[in-house]
Amino acid sequence: MNQGALFVQLVVDGLATGSIYAALALAIVLVNQATGLINFAQGGMAVLGAYLGMTFGNLAIPAVGPVAGITIGIVASVIASFVIGALVERFLMRRFQGGDPDTAVVATIGLLTLITGLCGLIWTYNYLPYPFYFSAGLSFRIGDIAIDVWSLTTFITILVLMGLLQALFRGTKLGLGLRAVADNPRSAALSGLRVGTLLMIGWGLAAALGSVAGVLVAVKSQLIPGMFDAALVYALAAVIIGGLDSPVGAVVAALGIAVLENLAGTYLDWVGHDLKIAVPFVLIFIVLILRPQGLFGRKSVVRV
Amino acid sequence: MSAVTAFLANRWVRLGVFGVVLVVLGVLPLIADPFTNQTIARIAVFAVAVLGLNIVMGYTGQVSLGQIFFVGVGAYCAAIPIRAWWGTDVYTWSIVIGLVLAIVVPGVIGLLVALAAARLRGLAIAMITIALPIIGVPLAKRFSDLTGGNEGLSVRRLPYGEGDAAGVGNPFAAPAGSGLANDQWQYYLVLLIAIIVFVLAYFLVRGRYGRAFAIVRENEAVAASMGISPYRYKVLSFTIAAVFGGIAGFLYIVALQYTSSETLSFGHSIELVIATIVGGAGSIVGSILGGAFYVLIPQITNALQLSDYTLVAQGVIILLVLFLLPGGLASLPRTIRRLARRRRGAHSVDAGDPAGSASVTTQHQVPTSKERNT
Repeated sequence: MNQGALFVQLVVDGLATGSIYAALALAIVLVNQATGLINFAQGGMAVLGAYLGMTFGNLAIPAVGPVAGITIGIVASVIASFVIGALVERFLMRRFQGGDPDTAVVATIGLLTLITGLCGLIWTYNYLPYPFYFSAGLSFRIGDIAIDVWSLTTFITILVLMGLLQALFRGTKLGLGLRAVADNPRSAALSGLRVGTLLMIGWGLAAALGSVAGVLVAVKSQLIPGMFDAALVYALAAVIIGGLDSPVGAVVAALGIAVLENLAGTYLDWVGHDLKIAVPFVLIFIVLILRPQGLFGRKSVVRV
Repeated sequence: MSAVTAFLANRWVRLGVFGVVLVVLGVLPLIADPFTNQTIARIAVFAVAVLGLNIVMGYTGQVSLGQIFFVGVGAYCAAIPIRAWWGTDVYTWSIVIGLVLAIVVPGVIGLLVALAAARLRGLAIAMITIALPIIGVPLAKRFSDLTGGNEGLSVRRLPYGEGDAAGVGNPFAAPAGSGLANDQWQYYLVLLIAIIVFVLAYFLVRGRYGRAFAIVRENEAVAASMGISPYRYKVLSFTIAAVFGGIAGFLYIVALQYTSSETLSFGHSIELVIATIVGGAGSIVGSILGGAFYVLIPQITNALQLSDYTLVAQGVIILLVLFLLPGGLASLPRTIRRLARRRRGAHSVDAGDPAGSASVTTQHQVPTSKERNT
């Protein structure tokens, strides 16, 4: 394979993994915009969603055939994740709303531990294959470049979801309400919005988005409870670099991180495959020193 | 009840209680079995790590998810020189060099990380420190010549300085003339260093620095207006936490004589955060309880052959503590006293307590979401 083709392939693969990080980063920004919290359990909830999708899929496939069964699994995963996200907000995070943010963060960490433990208990700590329309190794060639069908599917799926989310936020009354609650919950309540319901919808949407990312990763690398620990770190790095209040920034940063770490892992010998994960943090150090509010973030002024 | 409270509040009584605890801890290993001694020594190891995390989280109010990284680095820093020099002319000094390195190296790394992380407010430290264990594990595996990679480093059987029958020895075996068993010797060594660290921490959080930390935790803008640089004190508290983590790593080697990349894994880091909050944020006693929680929960689930439930148990307990006992286990006596007072119908329910204010906010919000319709 010539050098140019290798480069293009690395970029394409990077964009695919990057869109996974982007989905998770977007979920984190969504929750942060609505509640001012960082949900460290976002990755864990995505894994739980993927496990549910696998279970529903495996149950449905003998009855209705593979294609319909897999689809049922994914739809069930998204719906279940939405419900779980909403319930977590209502019965767990609501309690910490408006209080000390550190306490709320610890609550999401406890939730991450609980979800990981439950997944391990129900589905064991062994790798489980996720049933999907095609095998993860499938690829096609354009000239010299081999492109994974998985990479392409992932990239397009996440891109479409982001488009839908953007349309929801900009073009619908629900989206307007969500933005109003995020901006100022008290005045949103005064102007007649159901703040509690909207918060639940925000968490539900974030969890549903995460579960799609979870399913896509599970297809590629099989399911295991700690599957998203590293992805969560990438997503958080993307959020820091892109700015907590900027969905576009988070997505661009996630894609950039993934492409860059892919290139660094191949072209810099001492980075290699195992230390790729250090790349975003070198970036973070540089960004924090040059622009503490993130590349796309706004600087906030605090008064006593 | 109030008589008991007043009695316990007396300075001399507290010192007396402290003395009694010291005597019990001093006599216990002579009568307890080795397993109990090792368990208590491990609790002391992780109590020091939790204490460090408490300086950052409890006293300065910054969430750090990377404390276990410093424990792991400290353990490597202790094990590597001991393995390199044990059996040469400087063999006893190799332990001292290990201790010094276990303090300096994590401290410097902690300082460098904090210099970048503390620039952002709020949750940035949490979001950056989460990377430490996640990068640390592959890093440890990469430098496997130094760290032993997956197999780890053991200091249990090293070429012996004077050379015994087998020609190998344990640097942390009890000295010949002491009349102690190995587990008793290690217990005393761990406990001695742990107590020194706890006493230092006690004076730190009650002194000038402790007050500065508290102001930074309460309100950074106020701190800045008083001439207390939030940035500088956040960096300081983070560095101290890293140093305590490193010391805990050294003690880990004393107590277990083994470490590997598993020691600094992400899961353990999360468990350490949970242990800190369950024990009691911003409490010295809470740090000890946190260490006990960290060590005993897996031990109990293992003994009951329910080790699959360890994570679930930890998750459930931390959420229950956050809901019912926000001050952690250390605040249990205070909470019981308050409940007893409330039952007697006294009007002294203070509004400032965390549990009370949390329930007030929730009650506040439910009506706002229900009473309005779009």
